Amino acid sequence: MGVDQPWRFGLRKARFVTEASLDRPGLFGRPATWGISLFLSFGLIALLRISGAIEPPVGFILMAVAMMQMIPLVRTTMARQRATGYASPAIVRYNRRFLFASFGYMIGLGLAVTINDRVELGQGETILIALLPIVPIFGMIWTMARYIMEEQDEYLRHRAVMASLFGLGVVLTFGTFWGFLETFGVVPHIWAWWTFPAWAMGMGLAQCGMSIRNRLGSDT
Amino acid sequence: MKNRLKVLRAERDWSQQDLAQRLEVSRQSVNAIETGKYDPSLPLAFRIATLFDARIEEIFSPE
Repeated sequence: MGVDQPWRFGLRKARFVTEASLDRPGLFGRPATWGISLFLSFGLIALLRISGAIEPPVGFILMAVAMMQMIPLVRTTMARQRATGYASPAIVRYNRRFLFASFGYMIGLGLAVTINDRVELGQGETILIALLPIVPIFGMIWTMARYIMEEQDEYLRHRAVMASLFGLGVVLTFGTFWGFLETFGVVPHIWAWWTFPAWAMGMGLAQCGMSIRNRLGSDT
Repeated sequence: MKNRLKVLRAERDWSQQDLAQRLEVSRQSVNAIETGKYDPSLPLAFRIATLFDARIEEIFSPE
């Protein structure tokens, strides 16, 4: 592999980040901008929906529009990963698969909620409807598993495994804590699907922590 | 584990990215190994030793 190749992994450049701006990307070239915007959009739409200001179909359409921010979020993240030496073919595949699964989840969840609100369903049909958001979530879990299997860079694989274990620790700790408080009637019941987002957030926190730790000792 | 990777790299005037491309790993891998935050596997240690034409124990040593 020649050392003169500036983009060893041959990735397509992100639309919002040029090669010249990789060191100091503008506001729209930063993953944090799109991540925060996505989070705030979902929060605002949820508030409008809970307050009754918008009906379910409008909420679903707004969620779908807000979800489009996933595209620049993934693109700027990939550009950042290339600039900081984290990009690998496995990460590119992971990002793409996760993007597809995320869109599948949003569409599946929107359809499931809309159908459930408007149609009288039997138990068997309800199970099928519930599978609409479940299958894409399984796709996300499969995507994470595939990444660990496909990553050829042993240090990046090590990081992913450690982040997964940290996420698992978050789920086990919070689940045990909340579960016993719930048993004794101190806190309300929460639905079990919280486990996946909690695990993913734990993974994200661990990856951020490792990135900060590495940046402190970085030497280009 | 201590290592002389940074010194060997500097002797050749290579950046971390240069070394990463020669080893076919990410730059973050080189950084993590150099700073002692990650100990490479035996196969990668052999690749590093081969690249610098040295024995593993000439590059890596116990704390």
